[in-house]
Amino acid sequence: MYRIIEHTADVGIEAYGATIEEAFENAAKGMFAIITNDGHIESKQKRKIEIDFDEDEEILLVDWLTELLYLHDVEGLVFGEFEVRINKKLVGYAYGEKYDRQKHGYGIEIKAVTYHMLEIKRNKKGVTIKVLFDI
Amino acid sequence: MWSGPLNKVGDYRYEIPKSYRGINGNLKMKVPALIYASDEMLPAIRKDNAPEQTANVATLPGIVGKSLAMPDIHWGYGFPIGGVAATDAEEGVISPGGVGFDINCGVRLVRTNMSIGDINKETIKQLVDELFRNVPSGVGSQAKVRLNKMQLNEVLEMGARWAVENGYGWEEDLEYLEENGCMEIADSNYVSEKAKDRGKAQVGSLGAGNHFLEIQRVAEIFDEEAAKVYGIEKDQIVVMIHTGSRGCGHQICSDYLRVLEQAVRKYNISLPDRQLACAPLKSNEGERYFKAMACAANFAWANRQMIVHWVRESFERVLRQNAEDMEMHIVYDVCHNIAKIEEHEVDGKKMEVCVHRKGATRSFGPGRKEVPAKYRNVGQPVLIPGDMGTESYLLKGTNQAEEAFGSTCHGAGRVMSRAEAKRRWRGREIAHMLEQKGIYAHPASWIVMAEESPDAYKDVSQVVSATHGAGLSLKVAKMIPLGVVKG
Repeated sequence: MYRIIEHTADVGIEAYGATIEEAFENAAKGMFAIITNDGHIESKQKRKIEIDFDEDEEILLVDWLTELLYLHDVEGLVFGEFEVRINKKLVGYAYGEKYDRQKHGYGIEIKAVTYHMLEIKRNKKGVTIKVLFDI
Repeated sequence: MWSGPLNKVGDYRYEIPKSYRGINGNLKMKVPALIYASDEMLPAIRKDNAPEQTANVATLPGIVGKSLAMPDIHWGYGFPIGGVAATDAEEGVISPGGVGFDINCGVRLVRTNMSIGDINKETIKQLVDELFRNVPSGVGSQAKVRLNKMQLNEVLEMGARWAVENGYGWEEDLEYLEENGCMEIADSNYVSEKAKDRGKAQVGSLGAGNHFLEIQRVAEIFDEEAAKVYGIEKDQIVVMIHTGSRGCGHQICSDYLRVLEQAVRKYNISLPDRQLACAPLKSNEGERYFKAMACAANFAWANRQMIVHWVRESFERVLRQNAEDMEMHIVYDVCHNIAKIEEHEVDGKKMEVCVHRKGATRSFGPGRKEVPAKYRNVGQPVLIPGDMGTESYLLKGTNQAEEAFGSTCHGAGRVMSRAEAKRRWRGREIAHMLEQKGIYAHPASWIVMAEESPDAYKDVSQVVSATHGAGLSLKVAKMIPLGVVKG
C-alpha cells in the first residue's frame, strides 16, 4: 500500500509494509504510479537489482529507487511488481514492460530521489516510508 | 510560515542578519543573508522555509559576501531555488545542492527575420506539430540519435562544440552561448557508467515538467538600443528552448551527493541540513564533483544545440526556406543551475570564487570579457522563461549585479501543486483558453495542460520587475507565445 503526497512543487510517496522489504516494494510501486499516472503495468520482463547494504536504510532506499529510475530512463521500462530481500545486500526483482503512453497513461517525469524529509519509521503495525522526488 | 528577521536594508533588499540563530537556535551564519524582493512579494516568500534555507547556506565553509536569494526564491533541496552563494576558490567548498539535480538547466533564444505579419495561425500550428514530431519530448522520451560510448564522452567534454562539429548547427552559434557552450574543466573519467547510459538514452530530448519549446512574438520593447544590439524588434518571431542535462545530470548529482555526504564526515564539516553536503573545492571529492558537474553542463549545451538544429530543420520544412535565409541566429543561451569559478570583487578586493547559481542566471554587465564582443557595450543578454501561455523576458546584465556576484533571477515557480491544478481545470479547457489568447499548444498529454496551467505559476513579470528595480538586470523585451511544445 502507498499514498501519493503532493506539495506545491514536489511529489512524493508514503509507503507501508509489514516488513521493510514490503515497504520498499510499495515505495517502488508508488513511484511508477506517479510516472504512469496510475497505469496498469503487466509483468512481461524481469530485471534483477543488487545493492550492497552498509547499515544505512535511508541510503539503501534512495539507491533502490534510483536504480529503478535508471532502468526506466535507459531501457524505457516501467514496473508494477517487485520482490525485495534485504540481508547483507538488497536483492530485488522488478517486473514490468516497455513504457507506452497510450497504454499506461502519462504521469510526471521524476528526475531524482531525494533525502529531503526522508523517513523510515517502525511501529507495531510495520514500516512506513516517506520519500520525496525531484521533478 | 517563516517568521525570522527580514530587515529592509534598501530598495528591494531584505537582510537576515548574521546574528540570526535559526529555527533551532543554534545556527552559526558566517555571513549575512540577503533576499531581493519587492514589498508585495514578502508574504509569499515567508510562506515556505526558503528564507531559513538562505540562512543555512550562510554557514558553508569559505562563503564570502552574503548568502543571496533572488525574488523568485522558493523552497528547494538544501539550497533554496533562486539561491546564489560564492565561496572562496582556494579555501571554500563546492556543494551539489547549490546547483541542483538538473545541472545546466537553461534557456536559449533563437531569432528569425519574420514578423507576426509574415506568418498566419495555420502556419504556427504546422510549425508546432512539426517541432513536436522532430524534437523528442515528454515523460519517457528517448533519444532519436544513438551515440556510442566514445561519442558520449566527447559530448561530455566538448559540449555544444561536439554538436556543431557533428552537423548540429552553425560554427557561429558557439559564440553566443554562455561559456561558448563548454566548461573546459570537464573530465568524463569522473562520470559513472550509469550517468553515461542515461545520457546516451536521452541526448537531444526536451524532457517534461516545466521544460518547453515555444514560438514567440516580441510583444514589447523596453530598451530600443539594447534590443537593436541583440537583433530584436517589435512583432518579430523568435523561438525559446528551456531544458537541461536530462537523466545524465540527474544521475551525476545523485552519485555525487553520496560522495560528498561522506566527505562532510571526512573533513569534519558541520551543517544544519544534510542536503547542503559539500567538500572543499581543493579536495579530491570537490574536484571530482566539479569535473563531473562540468560534464553534465556540457551535455546540456549539446542537448540544446541539437534541439536548435531540429528547430531550424522544422522551420525549413514547413516554410520551405533556408534557416540561413530566415536568419535563425542564436541570440543567447544561459544556464540557471550551475557552479562556476569566476572573478568577483569581495570587500573591494578582486578574488576567484566559486559561484553557485541554483535557479539564478548570470547577469554580467557591459565590459566583461565573458560577454560576446557584439554585446559587450550593452551587457549580457539574460533570458527568463515564463510558463506555458504567459510571457517570457529578454533582459540585459548590469554592473550593479556585481553585488550579487553577477547574478539575477531565473523565472517564476509554482504556486499550486499539480494535483490541485488537475482538480481545478481540465486540459482541454486550458487549451481552449490559450486558443482564445491566440496560443496553439501541443502537449504530450491533456493532463500536462492542466498541470502546467498558467495560473498554477507565480507571475513572472513581478519577479522581473523586482530584479529590474534592484538593478540586477534591466528589461529589454517581452515575448508572448504563439505556439507551445510541452513535454
